[in-house]
Amino acid sequence: MSATASSAANNPKDNHLLAALSGDSLAALLPYLEGVQLPLGMVVYESGGAQRYVYFPTSSIVSLLYVLANGSSAEIAVTGNEGLVGISLFMGGETTPSRAVVQSAGWGYRLRGEVLRKEFESGGALQHLLLRYTQALITQMTQTAVCNRHHAVDQQLCRWLLLSLDRLPGDELVMTQELIANMLGVRREGVTEAAGKLQAEGLIRYSRGHIKVLDRKQLEARVCECYGVVKKEYDRLLPEIGARLH
Amino acid sequence: MRTRSTPKQNHLLAALPAADFARLAPQLELVPLALGAVIYESDGEQAHVYFPTSGIVSLLYVMNDGAAAEIAVVGNEGMVGISLFMGGGTTPSRAVVQSVGRAYRLDAAQIKVEFARGGALQRLLLRYTQALITQMTQTAVCNRHHQLEQQLCRWLLLSLDRLPSSELVMTQQLIANMLGVRREGVTEAAGRLQADGLISYRRGRINVLDRAKLEERVCECYGVVRRESDRLFASHAAIAA
Repeated sequence: MSATASSAANNPKDNHLLAALSGDSLAALLPYLEGVQLPLGMVVYESGGAQRYVYFPTSSIVSLLYVLANGSSAEIAVTGNEGLVGISLFMGGETTPSRAVVQSAGWGYRLRGEVLRKEFESGGALQHLLLRYTQALITQMTQTAVCNRHHAVDQQLCRWLLLSLDRLPGDELVMTQELIANMLGVRREGVTEAAGKLQAEGLIRYSRGHIKVLDRKQLEARVCECYGVVKKEYDRLLPEIGARLH
Repeated sequence: MRTRSTPKQNHLLAALPAADFARLAPQLELVPLALGAVIYESDGEQAHVYFPTSGIVSLLYVMNDGAAAEIAVVGNEGMVGISLFMGGGTTPSRAVVQSVGRAYRLDAAQIKVEFARGGALQRLLLRYTQALITQMTQTAVCNRHHQLEQQLCRWLLLSLDRLPSSELVMTQQLIANMLGVRREGVTEAAGRLQADGLISYRRGRINVLDRAKLEERVCECYGVVRRESDRLFASHAAIAA
């Protein structure tokens, strides 16, 4: 569904952060929000690279990941319609060692960094929202650190599936096992095996790169506590957004 | 032998423009950081932010089964309690003193007022938060890809960067808790580092003998964190301006 959404169907309010802005704040940004297609594999920003825009996905997923010297990678966090990509533009760093890549194709909006920064620096509701969002993102990142230390591939796969689905408008993900393996920083065979188990038990259906969750409840029962910690924090920190999510 | 503490021993406070520092100073309270003291509990209310002048505070997550994983370390380069200005007020992680020292603490209400002024302090705190984020995300990467020995090196170096000497007082069990591994693993990894002359480890005291070699042995994760910290704080003057 997400990959075939047309530009006409793209709406800023499909991003929950933008939708949570006050009328005045959104009005200030609206003239500068550009609807953009986010194709699979697009590098939103490179490690240490200049970031001119922040992005608000509406029907896509952007992965924040670190690429090691030997080429392997590890995903740090996922962002979709609940958030924005490019926090270093208002946190002051301007660049970051991580890379942001579109992992699930779809649409979004982009906004010139200096426009957002100006709104951010005026303090007020927008600043508070963005900082709370950043804190939620931090929780996702730190929980990834914990999960990578303590939990097995199948639970990590569950966590990753649930977090991704929470950030897309439908209940389906389009994703290769190779890509998932890169995100989780494991071998593809590990993903194949873990996904196979979930499918065998009727939790998901995985065919030709399309992953559909059949039994969400069971998936949430299977996942490690890390998913719940992240979800709880997002809901707590961004109640105006939590109310909109399925 | 007690050395005098001053707020400017904390690098963030030292980076403030004179006027901001003068306004903040009377509100700063010097407190001890006792080994093992819990600065804030998971999801627990936080009454203050802390600017360490010495010692190290560990931010860690404790799982349902009691196993822990350290997320980041904070010393005199930073502050503990970012959720007080980020807006969350609490966080699922816990902050524990890992190496004894002292800190200047500021009331929760006061840090919010000061942050809301915008200006140098706000910029400084946000930049620091970004440096902290890099440390945390690199831990995620390191936990996925690197061996215990390299993680131990990283942890040693990050701790050393926050201590005045080349000595750490730390039990192997505690290090194991921080790294989220079994004690035997730490014993083995530390043993190798000792055998290779990088450290000496006796009765809970670790002495780093060859820092250069340690930096060679560690994975790239240490360098990433270090460079980002240096980069974000290289322009203190720019922040303060």
